Amino acid sequence: MEYYADQGWTDGLPVVPVTESYLAEFLAQTDRDPGDVLLPMPQLNRACTVRLAAINAALAGCRPEYFPVVLAAWESLAAEGYPAKGIWQSTTGTAPFLIVNGPVRERIGLNSKGNVFGSGFRANATIGRAIRLGVLNVFGLRPHELDQATQGTPAKYTFCIAENEEESPWPALHTEFGLAATDSAVTAIVIRSCVHIEARHTRVPEQLATDIAGTISRTGALIHETISAAVVLSPEHARLFSAAGWGKSDLGQFLFDHAVRTREELAAAGKEAVSSRTRWRLPADHPDALPSDTGDGAVRVLNSPAAVLVVVAGAGNAGVSAVVETFGPRGGPPPVTRVTGRGGAPRCA
Amino acid sequence: MADGILLERAGLPAVSICTDPFALTARAMAAAYGFPGFEYVSIPHPVASLNEVQIQARVHDMLPGLLRILGVEQWTPR
Repeated sequence: MEYYADQGWTDGLPVVPVTESYLAEFLAQTDRDPGDVLLPMPQLNRACTVRLAAINAALAGCRPEYFPVVLAAWESLAAEGYPAKGIWQSTTGTAPFLIVNGPVRERIGLNSKGNVFGSGFRANATIGRAIRLGVLNVFGLRPHELDQATQGTPAKYTFCIAENEEESPWPALHTEFGLAATDSAVTAIVIRSCVHIEARHTRVPEQLATDIAGTISRTGALIHETISAAVVLSPEHARLFSAAGWGKSDLGQFLFDHAVRTREELAAAGKEAVSSRTRWRLPADHPDALPSDTGDGAVRVLNSPAAVLVVVAGAGNAGVSAVVETFGPRGGPPPVTRVTGRGGAPRCA
Repeated sequence: MADGILLERAGLPAVSICTDPFALTARAMAAAYGFPGFEYVSIPHPVASLNEVQIQARVHDMLPGLLRILGVEQWTPR
């Protein structure tokens, strides 16, 4: 254990020693060739292969049967785009957020219910950690060296949840993007923060949605002209919306219209204009400044309703939800990636 | 850092400019590119929040170091 720590192969916590025979158990979970590249980072001349992903999954404390989920997570991160472009070297300090759908959740004991963001479940803890250890060990993105994160986020330890499909009134996330309910999938997104919302006080959907919009539009989240968000609703909140006839797209539309800041509020923080070169927010008296948006006084912080991703997770025991602040202005389909095991078949229950 | 190294290798003289807090990262990046001795200019942080006058002062201060790395032997400051 100390040897691995001395080599600098940990995230600060002890890792599991990996032998060739133990590694073979992980590689046996997939048909993929160990040399297959999952995520290249050409600017560093480094790439994560299936074998390297397996080593780091084993180090992380994953069970071998978690490995197909880890593979899908790496593939989803490659499709997501930002990791390959070097976002994990940035001062902005983002973490990978993994959302898992389908029968694999129950098979490996992934938590989708109470305390879904917190620790206590091996699959949640180690699958996210498998990615973190890969980032450190495969790409060498160590803090103070190639990882320039100013403060980072606790989510960098691990941030892996399962969607609570059973208590959601809406279709599972992966089925919205072309997969079958019997498929398992991982959707990976680069994120900055996970922000808690207390809303136990209302049954009016517009009030709840306004509360959520207020968190999305906080000025501290605004670096670019627009931002994006994943809204993780507890089952109680999801049912509140669906009982009022709202679907996920209705919520997305409401948030697009109501996640706004007045020009005065933005100006008080020096963010009322955007740079003509970079579209980053700045004060209006900056030489690069363009005025942003049109003149009705309220500036939208989302570029479209599609910039909001809605998932359901957590216990059905209180009106608590969260906004996960996803990196970058989004709008296209998220990188939903099928989990496949040996034989190329989807991993089903 | 990567850009400066790649430009130099392509035959275009280039000087990378970083702010002081990134010294460790700059060295790590240069090492990752197989050029651990790559010289660059280091200036005080931050830069993003400076006004025009302050930026001009930064440029004025960095010029001697920048020109030295480029290999300029004689210049007259304006």
